[in-house]
Order: sequence, then C-alpha cells, then structure tokens
Amino acid sequence: MADIRFAAMLASLRALLVPFAVALILAGIVLIVIGENPLAIFGLLAEESFGSARRIASTLSSATPLLFTAVATAICFRAGVFNVGVEGAFLVGGLAAVFVAFALPAGLGITLIPLALVAAMAAGAIWLWFPGWLLARFEVDEVVSTLMLNFIAAAITGYLVNGPLLSASAGNNMTPAIHDAAHLPRLMPPSTLHAGFLIGIAVMVLYGLWCRYTPAGVEGGLVGLNRRFARAMGISVSGTMITVMCLSGAIAGLGGASHGLGQLFRFSDAFSPGYGFTGMAVALLGRNHPVGMIVGAVLFGALASAGTTIQLFSSVPLDLVDIIQGLVMIFAVMELALPRLRRRRHA
Amino acid sequence: MRKTLGLTTAVLLGLGLPVQANDAPVALIIAQGGLGDGSWNDTAYAGFQAGLAETGLDGKPIESNDVAAQGEEIMRRAADAGFGLVISLEWIHGEPMEMLAPDYPDTDWVIMNQTRQGANVASVVFGEHEGSYLAGALAAQVTTDTSIPGINADPVIGVIGGVKSPGIDKFISGFIEGAKAINPDVEVKVAYAETFGDPAKGEQMAQAMFDEGADIVYQVAGGTGIGIINAAKASGHYAIGVDTDQDGIAPGSVLTSMVKRVDVAVAGILRDYKADKFPGGTEMVFGLAQNGVGLSPMTHTKDIIPAAYLERVEALKADIISGKITVWDVSTQGYPDFFN
Repeated sequence: MADIRFAAMLASLRALLVPFAVALILAGIVLIVIGENPLAIFGLLAEESFGSARRIASTLSSATPLLFTAVATAICFRAGVFNVGVEGAFLVGGLAAVFVAFALPAGLGITLIPLALVAAMAAGAIWLWFPGWLLARFEVDEVVSTLMLNFIAAAITGYLVNGPLLSASAGNNMTPAIHDAAHLPRLMPPSTLHAGFLIGIAVMVLYGLWCRYTPAGVEGGLVGLNRRFARAMGISVSGTMITVMCLSGAIAGLGGASHGLGQLFRFSDAFSPGYGFTGMAVALLGRNHPVGMIVGAVLFGALASAGTTIQLFSSVPLDLVDIIQGLVMIFAVMELALPRLRRRRHA
Repeated sequence: MRKTLGLTTAVLLGLGLPVQANDAPVALIIAQGGLGDGSWNDTAYAGFQAGLAETGLDGKPIESNDVAAQGEEIMRRAADAGFGLVISLEWIHGEPMEMLAPDYPDTDWVIMNQTRQGANVASVVFGEHEGSYLAGALAAQVTTDTSIPGINADPVIGVIGGVKSPGIDKFISGFIEGAKAINPDVEVKVAYAETFGDPAKGEQMAQAMFDEGADIVYQVAGGTGIGIINAAKASGHYAIGVDTDQDGIAPGSVLTSMVKRVDVAVAGILRDYKADKFPGGTEMVFGLAQNGVGLSPMTHTKDIIPAAYLERVEALKADIISGKITVWDVSTQGYPDFFN
C-alpha cells in the first residue's frame, strides 16, 4: 500500500517535471533566436526564484493563491467533473471576505478573520453549487456552465467595485481597505508571504486525507473512475457531483479570502490575473496529487515572481514567462494523452 | 550597459569618491494593461525612453502579469538590487510604496495621481482642472456655432463623470469654469455614471444629454466614456475625450481630448534625478505651465473648428500659465460657488 502511494507520488512528480523540462528547452531555443544566452537567463530565473530566503519567500507568496485554486480544481477533476469555474468562485469569495473585513465594525478585532473566511467559503460554495445542481439534475454540461459563470463573477464583482462598493477616496476601481485587525499576518516580513500560505498547505493536506480516508472522498474517486460502476455500487453520482462542486467553490472562495486578507487588503479590478486557470494547469500537471500540486504551484509561483524581477537585470520581456507557461500546459496535456494513445496501439 | 555601470562604480570606489546616487539605474513599473495599451503605459514608457536617452542613465521597464499583488515585491527587489529611482505607474502601488520607502532611504520613489508621504517619495499629480478649463472654453464657443455640423444654437453642453468624488469633480469643475469664462449663460449638464466600466450606460446617459439639447459631452468616466464617444458618433454630435488622445476612437466625433502628458512628467523626473535634484517629499504638479496637461492636436477636427476659437483657447492657456487666471481646484480648495 505504501509502495503504491509512493509510486503515485513519483508518477505525479514525473508528470509535472517532464513538461517543465521540455518547455524550458523550447524556451531556450526561443532565447537563442532572440539573441540571448539561455543558460544565463535560466540561471537568473533560478536565482530570482530560489537564490535567497527573500527570493524563496517571494516565490511562495506568488504560489499561495495557486495552492487553493489547484485543490479546488483537482477535487472536481478526480470525480470526473470538469469544473472550470474556480476563477469565478475565487473572485466571489475574495469579494465576500473583503466586504466582511471592511464593512463590519473594526471593533470586532481579530474575529473578523474567521468571519471573513467563512463568508468567502459560503459564497464560493453557493456559487459552484448552482452549476453542480444543474449538472446533477439536468445534465447541463459543467464546462459550459462554469465557464459562463466565470464571466458573470467577473462582471458582478467588477460592477460592485466600480459602483456600490467603490472606495470614496480611491482614484481607481477598488473597495475601501480592510480593517488592520483583519490582515493575515506576514510570515517573513518584509516579504509579502503571509499566513494564507499555511492555510493553503493545510488545505492540501486535508484534501489528501479526504481523498483517502473519508467515504465522500473515496466515492468521489470512484465516480471519477467509472460512473456506471460507482452507480452500481450504490454511490449517489449526482450527490457526489454536487458535493465536489460545493467543496471546490468553498476552497476557491477561501483562496480568494486569503488573497484579499493577506495580499491586497482590498478587492480591486485586477484581483485575480487568472489564478483559477493557472490552478487548473497545476492540478493537471500534479495529476490531482497533493505533493505534485504543491510542487507545481511553487514552480508556477517561481515563474511568475522571477519572470517579473529578472526584467530588472536583463532585457528579456515578460513574454518569455508566458511562452514557458503556455508550453508547460501544452506538454502537460500531451503527456496525459500519450499513455492513452499507447494503450490504443497495443489493443 | 550594466557591466559598464558596475565598472564605473568600481572605479569611483577605487578613487575613494562617493558613489553618486543619481547614477544608479532606474526602474519604471508598468501598470495594469501592460505595454502596448496605446495609452497611459505606452505614453509613460515613451517619456521614460526619452529621459534615458537624454540623461544617459540605465533603466528598465518592469511588466507583470499580476501587477497588483506583486507590487511590493517588485519595488523591494528593485531597491535591494541597487536601483536608485523607482517610478510606479500603478495606482494600487501607492499604499505599499509609502509603507516601504522608509526602509530604503537611498532609493527615490515616484507615484502617480495621488499624494503619498515620505522624504524620498515624490508624488506626481496632473493639473486636470486646467486642461479641463480649456476643453470647457472650446466647447462653449463651438456649442452655439450652427455652421459646424451637428451643432445646435442652444448654449448647452454636458459632462459625465465616473463617480462623484473630488478627483473626478476636479475635471468637471474646471470644465464648467472654462465654459462660463466664454459664455456666462452656457448651461453645463452634469451627471455621474456611478461606474467606470459600463460603456452601455455611458452611451445611454450621453444620448439623454444629446436629446435634451446638448451637442458636446465631456467624458470623465474611464471605460464608461467609450460609450459616450459611441453615442456622439451615432447621433452626429461630439464627445470630448480624457486622459489620452482619444480623438482617433471615432474620428470627427471627438472634438478634442484633455490629455495628461505622463511622458513629460516621467522624462522630467529622470532629468531631475540625474541632476541630483530629485523632489523627494513633494507633490509635483504637472499643469499647463509644465506642459503636463493640454488639449489633443485635434487631428480630425481642427479643420471644422474656426481658427478664432482655437486662438481664444491658446490665449486662455497663456493667461493660466502666466497666472492671470487661476483655475479652481476642487481636490485642494473644496467646492466653488458655481459648482456644488
């Protein structure tokens, strides 16, 4: 049993690292073409990602939202529910948490934090319950419904921060700042790494335990493997679908809360640059395995953080990061497809 | 370039001379939207490049896919790495910059469109009230000239703000003051969209103003304003653009734009920094006198506007620069009698 688990972890890491390696090689060719020395640039990337405690903290800070969005995606994917609505739940949860943290009286002090976290989880869970229910009850395709809900979430939160919740003192589209008492503490000041990172790791661990040791978690995996078989075993497939969607929404909402209370201290127009979608890539790369997803989130966090700061020391534009990210995702999906192709050839 | 700089520094150190802070490289943090936005970021970057070329300084633009969340890390990294001047174009960076600047007394910091505290922080604000005054003066002259297509005889013009706030009312009040300076009887309709991101609402509101007899509407509403320009185009009337030269969005339907010259501001700051005259702890006002605001070149409309009107606007501009006219600034003076 332990061996099987270890093998699963290794497979998850391999599935993650191979696409990264291939993407780096191709990005290296691009660098040569534009006249840069790829080894120097990759060395700079590595140094800016992990070269010192401060740089590591910056990388982990960038990885924090991805921990949540990766788990939120994986919990659905492993049950065979292709939920792409994590981005929307992240926004809705983030705004709910920030609203609680600035609208309730500051006198509540540190109790604002649990209140905001619960509000965010509830908002996210309700947000994704709806497409889950549509899927379970009417077989409404969840890819379409959750994708559309992302646009609706962006529109609603955008409307609120541009209008009713717009800070009176701000010259930009953002809510008022949250109360000081509601700030999640920083772990390594002056780095922006905050307690949300620890919450994210805890969510990863809980997710791993949930998958293995709870009836709902095991059932989720079985539904993902084979719906008809699961149904024959007496598992409520529709119930499982709604459960994983609500859990996904709650976790994504919690991620939004972590970002709002720990990183930005407000909700603004640029609250998420697409954490939900990057999280989806992390889940795919990590094959829904907690260890794989933590490594994946850290690698994407490193790319985001170092990809920005290397511009201080080189003339490599941000596009390099976009190229590497895109290639990693392509090869991740290819790797998923390859075993299937091989199997077909043998058959 | 970096190598040369390191060499120079080493030579200076070797000679026992103090390292000049104003030779250290400079960084420009690009705001949301990134380079290639054809607007705020690109304009600022053009000024940055011009300033680098002029001063011989080494400098880097920094783009980020996650500029809101990464702001503090980018700024600290730049200061840690020895950059002597960090300019952020991102509004959201104001708060973190104010907080972290005391940690880096040897680095100079610049933030835009807001005023932040700190001995080594310079705040750049634009004299939008002065530029809006000129826009109002032009509109008040055009609005009764029926020889211009799309113009009726009524002395009625309009302005639509994003939200009611001192920052927006600074534009609106300047616009009204400029219009009244030309024609005290001109009626300026004022409305707020309550949103910066809803072009459809902007279009409806502008259309309502056109229906009520206005023929020129000034937009101070960000993305909502695109709808105002669309309404002008659809109804054959005129809009006035804001912040950047928006005349080309609907050629011929945008009378002019009230332009903020962030390029002038950035290039000027690099010059000051190089000359060791960085205005730390101050609010730098870029108004008409500093060429920090102004009307667009009116590429598509200058041929339909009588030259006398433009000359009048130029005369008013000269009077503001010389101090003969002082335009009311809501953001520092509160609300004037003519606008409540």
